[in-house]
Amino acid sequence: MISKRTRTAVLKELHSNKLATVGTALILCMLFVGMFAPVLAPHDPTQQDNSQTHQPPAFMGGETETTRLVDGEMQTVTEDNSGSLTHPLGTDTNGRDVLSRAIYGARTSLLVALTAMMASLILGTSVGMTAGYFGGKTDTILMRFVDVVLAFPALLITLAMIGVIGPLTFFIPDPFVTSGLITDRPTHMVFPVTITAAIAAVIWVWIARVARSEAIRVKNEEYVTAARTMGRSNFGIIRKHVLPNSITPILVLATIQVASIIIIESSLSFLGFAGTNLSWGYDIAQGRDYLGTSWWLSTIPGLFIVIAVVGINLFGDLLRDALDPGIDRGEV
Amino acid sequence: MREEVQFFVSRSLQGIVVIWGIITAVFMFRFISPTNPARLIAPDDASEELVRAIEIDLGLNDPILIQYVSYLTGVVQGDLGFSYSTNTPVRGRIIQVLPATLELAFAALIFAVIVSIPLGIISATHRGTKIDSVANLTSLGGVSTPNFWLAIMLVLLISVQLGLLPTSGRPIGLGEGIRMLIFQANIGGLTTWLSHMILPTIALGTYFMALLFRLTRNGVLEELGKEYVLAARGKGLPNPLIMYRYVLRNSLTPVVTVTGLQLGGLIGGSVVVEAVFAWPGIGRLFITSLNLSDWPMMQGVLIIVGVGYVVTNIFVDYINSSLNPQVELA
Repeated sequence: MISKRTRTAVLKELHSNKLATVGTALILCMLFVGMFAPVLAPHDPTQQDNSQTHQPPAFMGGETETTRLVDGEMQTVTEDNSGSLTHPLGTDTNGRDVLSRAIYGARTSLLVALTAMMASLILGTSVGMTAGYFGGKTDTILMRFVDVVLAFPALLITLAMIGVIGPLTFFIPDPFVTSGLITDRPTHMVFPVTITAAIAAVIWVWIARVARSEAIRVKNEEYVTAARTMGRSNFGIIRKHVLPNSITPILVLATIQVASIIIIESSLSFLGFAGTNLSWGYDIAQGRDYLGTSWWLSTIPGLFIVIAVVGINLFGDLLRDALDPGIDRGEV
Repeated sequence: MREEVQFFVSRSLQGIVVIWGIITAVFMFRFISPTNPARLIAPDDASEELVRAIEIDLGLNDPILIQYVSYLTGVVQGDLGFSYSTNTPVRGRIIQVLPATLELAFAALIFAVIVSIPLGIISATHRGTKIDSVANLTSLGGVSTPNFWLAIMLVLLISVQLGLLPTSGRPIGLGEGIRMLIFQANIGGLTTWLSHMILPTIALGTYFMALLFRLTRNGVLEELGKEYVLAARGKGLPNPLIMYRYVLRNSLTPVVTVTGLQLGGLIGGSVVVEAVFAWPGIGRLFITSLNLSDWPMMQGVLIIVGVGYVVTNIFVDYINSSLNPQVELA
């Protein structure tokens, strides 16, 4: 489906633009981390250890003076609380390893983002192609519907969809653990169905708009008229001619949207609607209560989000510069 | 003038169709959602008969069409119904919290515009220099940072570590602050207001600022390369005049469009930022209602925000066409 010309243009841009290389590397890193989370995480992300709470990241922290009751008297004692390499990015209130949690968080983000993106791609392309190709009343009705969804801020309507769908989660067995390759890791991945569906239900309208305008552009080309004269069915023409010739800008938009989806997903889990507690947004929310004492709890998962989104944005810019589809991005 | 009347009439008609769609969608949300309002309203130990009685009282057993028509006529008359959790009118509650969100959204908008447009111009005119690279990196960071995390980092750095600004809350509104200044000659109200506004404004406005910066920079760069700029230079027009009279005017169209459209995005973003700063606005109201399955309240918020978006949209198109005669009123 991706033509040779497209591939050459992307590769050329990749060679000439250093930032684009960084972006691509970041995306590959994130995919790798998400996929091999059980292998890469140094600890079980759900393992609690009450003797190891609030440990700072390695090479940080140090001796602190605290006042506590010793032998029935208040005394000032010096405690050694410096970070160690066992927990490179520290531990949280329950002694869980922050790095392992962030690695598993990448997995949740990826799972939601890729599924929601695929769903929105399929729905958006179908609706947009139908509206653009057939035009007339079909177009008016479908596009008014799109206008209604667009009238709400994405986050607000996603939250409303969560209320409509109700909480649903789905457990997927982790292949690394079930195959016996790895032990002491969570046996199942939690797939937050509700937020994925809610995000997809909102984000597809952006795809639909681009698909529609592309279909309108392509449908009057001569080869489409020729195909119609030859007696090809409408569905056949869309599949064989209109879709392949309008897929590039649609795919570029879908790529950029992954960044928006990750931000929406983390916002929803921050607000407590995640359905899983292995998520960047959830960890940031948990760390908020300890800002004064344990700064790393909220800071580190957030840095992971920023790095992932920067990567996708850079990669999206690369695709856009290379292919120049002239689209506006779907905003949060 | 005639053209303008025509524009507003035809756009209003289209807008009414979308608003009708919004109300219908919002009605369907409540209808499909798995919660039974009667159970929410009834006490925990209520008998089945009581729940039935409440259902009948709310009209939940009526055919869907009758429920829909009564909801629609209510909304058109400005009646958004009664909250399931407090049994008070939804409209009154929304009017009560709306100023907090609007203050925040407008402050963020002003912050974003004031920072981004000059920065975009400087960046474009100094293309390829250090200033340009720093500005570009900042904007990449800006569009890639979730606003709630930025909010927490600001609180961590400025409130917790440096102790400069309050961590959260909105003890006083702008109107109240101004009243204090006028009637009691006391500026304390306004300074308190301002100190609580700064962090939420930056947290909410940064993404938008980064976005506007990119648009301004790209727009100005594109215009600077056009022949009329060369011609104006050749005529000996001073640079600032070329910039403000010609280039900016032509490159601001997308900026105005996005500014208008993002007002909705700012209200969406304020849902999370309000949660971080315990800001008593429409976003917090929405989250609380969602946790309680208080559908009338959520429906009310969605309708107000959706209608606001539709109306803003019409004005944005109008402003665009008066800024740039090439954009036709249609």
